[in-house]
Amino acid sequence: MLKLAFQNMRYYKSQTMAIFFSIFLTAALLSGIGSLLYSSQLNETENSKRIYGNWHYALPSNPQLLKSIKKGDREQGFFLEQYGVKEIRETITTPYEISFVWSDTSYLKMTDRELVKGNYPATPGELAADIFTLSNLGYKGKPGEIITLNKTEYTLSGILNSPWAADTDHMEVFVSEDFKSTDVLSTLYVKFREEGKLYRQLYAFLDYYKISGNDVENNDKVTKYLGGEEPEHLYQILKFALTDEKGNFTYIVLKLQAEYNLAFYGMVLLLCAFSLCVIYSIFQISVSKRILQYGIMETLGISDRALGGTLLAELWMLFLIGYPLGCLAGNSILKLSYRRLAGIFTPLYFSANAQEISAADSLSLGDTKTPQFHTACWVMLIGFLFLFFAMFLIGILTLLSLKKQTLRQAMAEDPCFLKGSRKIYSRRNRNLTGVVIRKFMFSNPKKITGILLSLSMGGCIFLCTTYMVENLKIHAEMSLKSDEGLSSPYRISLMSHTLGDTIPKETVEEIKELPQLAEIHATKYIPGEITIGKTELEWDEYFDERNKDSYFRERFGGICVSRGNNYGIKYNVYGYDSNLITQLKDYILEGEISEKDWEKGNKIIAVANQDGQGNFNFYGKHPGDTLLLKVPKAFKDDGEILRFENPKKDYLEMEFELAAIVSRPLTQENRFFNVNGWKNHPSLILSNPQMERLYHIADYSFLDIEPVKGADDAFFDALLQAIQNVPRAVLKDDTKAIQAQRNYLGQQQLFFTGIAVIFLAISLFHIMNSANHSILSHRREYGIILSMGITKGQFYRMILSAGILYGILTDVFIFLLYHIFLRQAMNYYMAHVLQFLHFTAAVPREIFIMVLVLNLLISLIAVLIPAGKILKAEVLENL
Amino acid sequence: MHILELRHVEKIYGEKENQVKALGDINLKVNPGEFIAIVGTSGSGKSTLLNLMGGLDSPTKGAIYVKGKEIGSLKRKALTIFRRRNIGFVFQNYSLMPVLNVYDNVALPVTFDSGNHLNHGYIEELLKELGIWNKRKKYPQELSGGQQQRVAIARALVNKPAILLADEPTGNLDSATTVEVMGLLKTSCRKYNQTILMVTHNEGIAQICDRIIHIEDGRIVNENNFINTKPSDAGEGGDFTC
Repeated sequence: MLKLAFQNMRYYKSQTMAIFFSIFLTAALLSGIGSLLYSSQLNETENSKRIYGNWHYALPSNPQLLKSIKKGDREQGFFLEQYGVKEIRETITTPYEISFVWSDTSYLKMTDRELVKGNYPATPGELAADIFTLSNLGYKGKPGEIITLNKTEYTLSGILNSPWAADTDHMEVFVSEDFKSTDVLSTLYVKFREEGKLYRQLYAFLDYYKISGNDVENNDKVTKYLGGEEPEHLYQILKFALTDEKGNFTYIVLKLQAEYNLAFYGMVLLLCAFSLCVIYSIFQISVSKRILQYGIMETLGISDRALGGTLLAELWMLFLIGYPLGCLAGNSILKLSYRRLAGIFTPLYFSANAQEISAADSLSLGDTKTPQFHTACWVMLIGFLFLFFAMFLIGILTLLSLKKQTLRQAMAEDPCFLKGSRKIYSRRNRNLTGVVIRKFMFSNPKKITGILLSLSMGGCIFLCTTYMVENLKIHAEMSLKSDEGLSSPYRISLMSHTLGDTIPKETVEEIKELPQLAEIHATKYIPGEITIGKTELEWDEYFDERNKDSYFRERFGGICVSRGNNYGIKYNVYGYDSNLITQLKDYILEGEISEKDWEKGNKIIAVANQDGQGNFNFYGKHPGDTLLLKVPKAFKDDGEILRFENPKKDYLEMEFELAAIVSRPLTQENRFFNVNGWKNHPSLILSNPQMERLYHIADYSFLDIEPVKGADDAFFDALLQAIQNVPRAVLKDDTKAIQAQRNYLGQQQLFFTGIAVIFLAISLFHIMNSANHSILSHRREYGIILSMGITKGQFYRMILSAGILYGILTDVFIFLLYHIFLRQAMNYYMAHVLQFLHFTAAVPREIFIMVLVLNLLISLIAVLIPAGKILKAEVLENL
Repeated sequence: MHILELRHVEKIYGEKENQVKALGDINLKVNPGEFIAIVGTSGSGKSTLLNLMGGLDSPTKGAIYVKGKEIGSLKRKALTIFRRRNIGFVFQNYSLMPVLNVYDNVALPVTFDSGNHLNHGYIEELLKELGIWNKRKKYPQELSGGQQQRVAIARALVNKPAILLADEPTGNLDSATTVEVMGLLKTSCRKYNQTILMVTHNEGIAQICDRIIHIEDGRIVNENNFINTKPSDAGEGGDFTC
């Protein structure tokens, strides 16, 4: 069998090479993309470590625990790699809320807050702080500078790295270990060796030191891919989905994504399936070319087993050579080009000159680190095993398809007996060659459907990926603006919990006059409460969770509270400028936004609630419906007014007409309701003139500022100067963070597009091979036509018409598949799993046309090559 | 003028030590309307000779004239068009297009000539003459060998070529069908005044022809001319043995 298989490979060189290259390319693709995805996850974890700290869990600490950890075993079902301690020694509230923190060096290292300049405080009279804190306090940030806090003078001993996206709600200064305090809040940060599932190590750790797991905080962004939380059992997920009324397919998908990293494993599975399709299809083509030989072998009495063995031996031999070589090539090429793509995976690894610290450079001042390329050996192993056994199936299927034919058919190389319309075409149509071409293609509908499906696969994958990238672009931009609070390079906000603190109108006017200003969005804000009927409320579980938070309970009396037959739900009420309101039009789910409404009308825009499965809803209300909104009349925060339980006279209650429902707000307040890890609190949007006319709010709560390109530090200083006399106003510089995030997102898009292009390239190779086979399989018939005296030009025209037909049909398939099925599937996936479907996103028309034209071109080239071969040969050779 | 003339034609396959001389110094003249059989054993070079005469292959040496035109001097496109208009082929394996029905198979070569009118009356006449008019909507696979060969003959005749070349046209047929097909060829030859050169290894079949050319080892070894010795031509399904 081996000898026969080897001889087959030698004799059918071009087919052997086609199978070999299909294995080689798909192995390169499978292992390469597997490794890229694996690397991206590991490097995303590295990024998260920089942003959120290089620790896995945080838990309340005490001296005994620290003592026992110091003495205790570090390997008892867990491996404690690093731990650090942070103690909040004191907190002051003026001029801002500032914590005096002592921490060990290990903590500083773990949270990337190491010293950039100077020394760590050695005496109680010294402190170290970051540039964000110092600049807002009005200091230049030079070691030795005297800092006055709470009427006490401290010497600035050193400058620390600013934390990522500086927390405007809270500032920290670091003090020496001798800094005395009466009330210490100590937290232990632990980091385990990243092998196996982390939650198992945590359980062993808690068990070993007899610690309760109730107050353990999981650094979930870091532990996301490291098994930070015990996943729910698959059986439980399925049971809930199938038996509970809330369970559905989306639930399963979401659970698998959250608990079992479905996106990654799904991708590996898809790659395996894609590889299998390509190999199977090319192998089928090769086998069909030698049906005659198999027919002869069967006539000579070869057993099914031996025939199957020969097929398998051939496939496996090629696989055993092609797969490792493909893996090697795929990984090597990607490893070499990985540094060029470095930014994809390491958005924060930029270098900065630590000697010249400016406010803009105060973030993540680390050494340049090269991201690592990680080879996903286990993906290769999975791929190897999957394809190895899949090939066994291919062998069996091929054998079965051979057995379906009679020996005569096999030997006549006539796999299908043609039957078609009895119509005489030449009576009305002189173009009989066109009829011949069409009949060649459509003689076997099953076969042509299979071919067209496989041909359109690459184009479809490319379009789906492009569609996702287009959505990702919008989502990334929006997340940056709304979720991450990085809407503009500079943001002036208030570090205050009282409504009375605002940014005066005059300050905004002053900033508007700054020479280097490009754009400013000044937003007004007021917390409000809407009234919703008890029957209208959905997702009460969400509000139950919010109500459980002691901060919301104590300060606002809960987020969603019962008011007789209704619920009162706390809402952020924003006053946007006209520019931002216009931008909101891209996110309309229902209704319309008209500029006229904002001048005199009492129309309001509501941001829909989005559930965990990506469904939008606004309590069953639609544009034109009314909404009752209550806001405090006076801005003095007596601590009770925001509970909305004072006498009626303290509030303004108005009925608004719902103009539109949008999917998200654009810029958000980070105080009041968007705190304690809660983001995207329900919002309502009015215009600035409405806020002034209806609620008499003249001043602003936060400003998003965009300087002109190339603006220098003077602009930053001018902004600081402008807010100098505004109590509790802070200026945050997000230039670097935005740039880093944009780079990351841009390169992430490039990465996805790159993968799609590879798919497209493999698919094009496949199209070439299929079209080539399709023409050459009718070589004899073309030979007959040539012998009858068709000219070279006529022959090329005939073959080109076949190419055009292939191209057009593939394009039609792509068009229909994409619009009827795939786009719906992508919409479902993005809406419910990724949760970033945007209604305005679409594949750019140019890209769509490019894919269609490329298919057509490739089909034409693909048929011209075998046509050339046929013409090159003598007529008799073709016969 | 001879309709076909071969002057010192030689055909060698392969190169250097692998050279095989298929034909050597062939000289032949064919008159219009002649029905000639080329007879020889397997490998004698008879099919090679037929292919050279049809312009399907080119000679290593020598010249071939069809209707006074040296086909070797024609460029590829001109040769193709010349062949299409002047030479018809009938192959042993019929070489029909499996995806076209009988009628369209016959009409196909005419459609290559854009200026040529598709004469449906003539196609109908041909099919009726060959006894396959009632099969015109059938596909080749649905026909017997003999019927398929009739279609092939009809197709070869549809462009009214000056010469019809038939390579073992009865090679795949049983004796009764062979008689039928030979009769049809003979009738066509007479009716349409066509020159037919037929390759066969069967001496019996060759007897129906006007002239028999014996070929051995790539050389013409003998020529028998019956045109004067056999005044009465065999009619349809002529009286001969295979």
